[in-house]
Amino acid sequence: MNEQKSKSELVADKAYWLVRLGVLAAAIMMFLPAMNPSRICERINRNLSLFTSAVSWSGLINNLSGFDVRIIGSYAPFQYVMAFSIVALVGILLMCVGGCMSLGNLKMKVKGNFFTLGGSIALGAGMLLMHIPYNMLMDTVGKTETASTSNPFSPAIPTAMWVFFVIAVIVFIGTLMTMILLPKPDKAMKFEMPTKYKLFLCMLPFIVLTFAFSYLPLYGWRYAFFDYTSGKPLTADQFVGLKWFARLVNDPQTRSDVLKVLRNTLVMSGLGIATSWVPMFFAIMLNEIKTKWFRKTVQIFTTIPNFVSWVIVFALAFAIFSTDGFINSLFGTKIDFLGNPSGTWFKMLAWGMWKGVGWSAIIYVAGISGIPLELYEAATVDGAGRAQKMWHVTVPGLMPTYCVLLLMSIANILTNGMDQYLVFYNANNADLINVLDLYVYKLGLSDPDMFPLSTVVSMTKSIVSVILLFSANAISKLIRGESIM
Amino acid sequence: MAKMSEKMKQELKAEKAYNKKHKRMYRLTANDVIFNIFAYLLFGIFVIICIFPFYYIFINSISSPAAVTSKAVTFWPQGFSLETYKAVIEVKDIGQAFLVTITRTIIATALMVVASGIIGYLVTKQEMWHRKLWYRLLVVTMYFNAGIIPWYLNMAMLGLTNNYMAYIIPAIVAPYNIILVKTYIESIPAEMEESAFIDGAGYAVIFRKIIWPLSKPILATITIFGAVGNWNSFTDSLMLMQSKPQLQTLQHKLYNYLDSASDLKSVIQNPDSEVVRRAMDNAAFASVIKYTVSMISIIPILIVYPFMQRYFEEGIMLGAVKG
Repeated sequence: MNEQKSKSELVADKAYWLVRLGVLAAAIMMFLPAMNPSRICERINRNLSLFTSAVSWSGLINNLSGFDVRIIGSYAPFQYVMAFSIVALVGILLMCVGGCMSLGNLKMKVKGNFFTLGGSIALGAGMLLMHIPYNMLMDTVGKTETASTSNPFSPAIPTAMWVFFVIAVIVFIGTLMTMILLPKPDKAMKFEMPTKYKLFLCMLPFIVLTFAFSYLPLYGWRYAFFDYTSGKPLTADQFVGLKWFARLVNDPQTRSDVLKVLRNTLVMSGLGIATSWVPMFFAIMLNEIKTKWFRKTVQIFTTIPNFVSWVIVFALAFAIFSTDGFINSLFGTKIDFLGNPSGTWFKMLAWGMWKGVGWSAIIYVAGISGIPLELYEAATVDGAGRAQKMWHVTVPGLMPTYCVLLLMSIANILTNGMDQYLVFYNANNADLINVLDLYVYKLGLSDPDMFPLSTVVSMTKSIVSVILLFSANAISKLIRGESIM
Repeated sequence: MAKMSEKMKQELKAEKAYNKKHKRMYRLTANDVIFNIFAYLLFGIFVIICIFPFYYIFINSISSPAAVTSKAVTFWPQGFSLETYKAVIEVKDIGQAFLVTITRTIIATALMVVASGIIGYLVTKQEMWHRKLWYRLLVVTMYFNAGIIPWYLNMAMLGLTNNYMAYIIPAIVAPYNIILVKTYIESIPAEMEESAFIDGAGYAVIFRKIIWPLSKPILATITIFGAVGNWNSFTDSLMLMQSKPQLQTLQHKLYNYLDSASDLKSVIQNPDSEVVRRAMDNAAFASVIKYTVSMISIIPILIVYPFMQRYFEEGIMLGAVKG
């Protein structure tokens, strides 16, 4: 943009950052249940955010029993809550539109201001109107509290309501400022926006999704530092510092569990790494087969197992190896292969290979076709036999690929995934099959009080894994001059 | 080197011609024969191991339940009957689960592919405000994981527990697929885009008219990866749909059936009680139904499998070149 900006426009640009910040805060808070301005009584679900209370009536009245409704007299207060939530939601959306338009040229900005202004008014009004259902509740159930029993409704104006209101006011004032400061655009001016912002706005929804599903969970790591009771929010007096980390080391039961799980994890990963050459061997052997249809058939059928889920693998295992499965009906025996814990590690390895070898071999098959034919011809000329060509031409040609995959599997040594172990898990093999991912899942599932401990374990695991990954990357850079990430 | 081997190349050519004439690639030595026998045997056995379990489930699902429970079925179907399939259709649960699974697979995959196309194109645009930052922000998410409990609490916080949208919305942004698409788009000659740009086309038009059609091979690849992943995933259903059985996926149902089948089996070990006899009846039903349900959840994959074959290699090779 080469047009000269006046001083007032520069001030307006500053004001815009304030407005955008406010809009961003409102847009994020709208999804946080801890920041729900419409939670005006205890009977509204704690997990509800402003967004969900505006779009889901069933969510809003989820915790409301028929008895509650009779006490209150009608659903009216909650209908008001939803209506005003919708008003606030629309306000926030309008603010978002205006905020995005503020990235455009003068005309865009000036028009966008109306959206922002209208949005902030709607949001502010929605917050203030929320007092109507609050007062209705206060009139009917607000005073039922006695000395002995606490009020199950306890109507209260949530702090978040004032936070949203303040944001609305800030955005309103900021927008008014820019409206005064900005000059009137020419009639002939067109709606325009610098390309860099246009592209950014296209990207924005996806950035928001990534933030919501990949970065926001990290906020849950705070559970590692608190005592958690199911359904209650975290408060400062539940803060326990590193208690759960200490428990990992000090509590004998937990310690022995974790050590056992860690052993299983390392053994399974170790076995996986020790057999990581098998797909390469598979591909090299396959390359030696000159009958084309046979080679194709092998490739087609050995990759099928990769495309079925572990549940189905277990279904197949069950059909073949259970007491009334194929093997036992063939020999008329009644051996329980699946329940028997002996050799669990090797069984898991075998299933993993059954599922994965054909698939992992594809990358090596492709790698072999990338080895220059001249190398083989030169080797033939030099008198190399078949085995020698395999060993001295094919294997070295595949080594770079193998090294990258090996480094990756070393970086992933703590991550085996849980699906496989979850489906094959039973009371007999529990001690041998429980890997870190499964342990974390079972721990959290068995008892919400163990949420912090489970979080501690997965948090530690994540950090160690990232360190391993970066080390593997550094090693790769050092040796091969290429990064693997 | 090239010149030196000119003569040898001719020799090789002659040998190849000889081989062609005699319809084989090599002159086989005794060692070669042994090697071939070994190799063919090895692969033959491995193929059978890979395929037989599927075949076994299949023949069980089309045999009569009586033959299945009396363990008469080993290599061939016994007493052909589709009774179990009829039974499965009657179990409302499974029809519902099938519907949930198939719709989630289609919707989530379609959205993911379109989103990956758009994002893959966007992140190749240098002009974007802070492009590198956003791209890294996306890619880094592949390498860390908050853990199951924080993930679950986050989903609960966003109102995505017991909610069909939990299958769809989180699946839209798939970093690995975005990398594949981006790498592919970068390999499209830049001149095509430039000339369109000069002709006055905007980004949207260029994307629709040039980038999208040209990236079809890689989009097909990620469609397959996405669809298979969606069809097979069951841990999300397991954790998020605990109190909404009508939203559980087929794989989740199958897992439940298999689980309860093993439980029933353990009950049957002490033979003289009322509970046990009732369990026996259920066990017969469970053993019949688990084959059929397995078959139903495998069939869609087997149907699309021939079509996906040719896209594997491309996807895997592109995946190896990350950046």
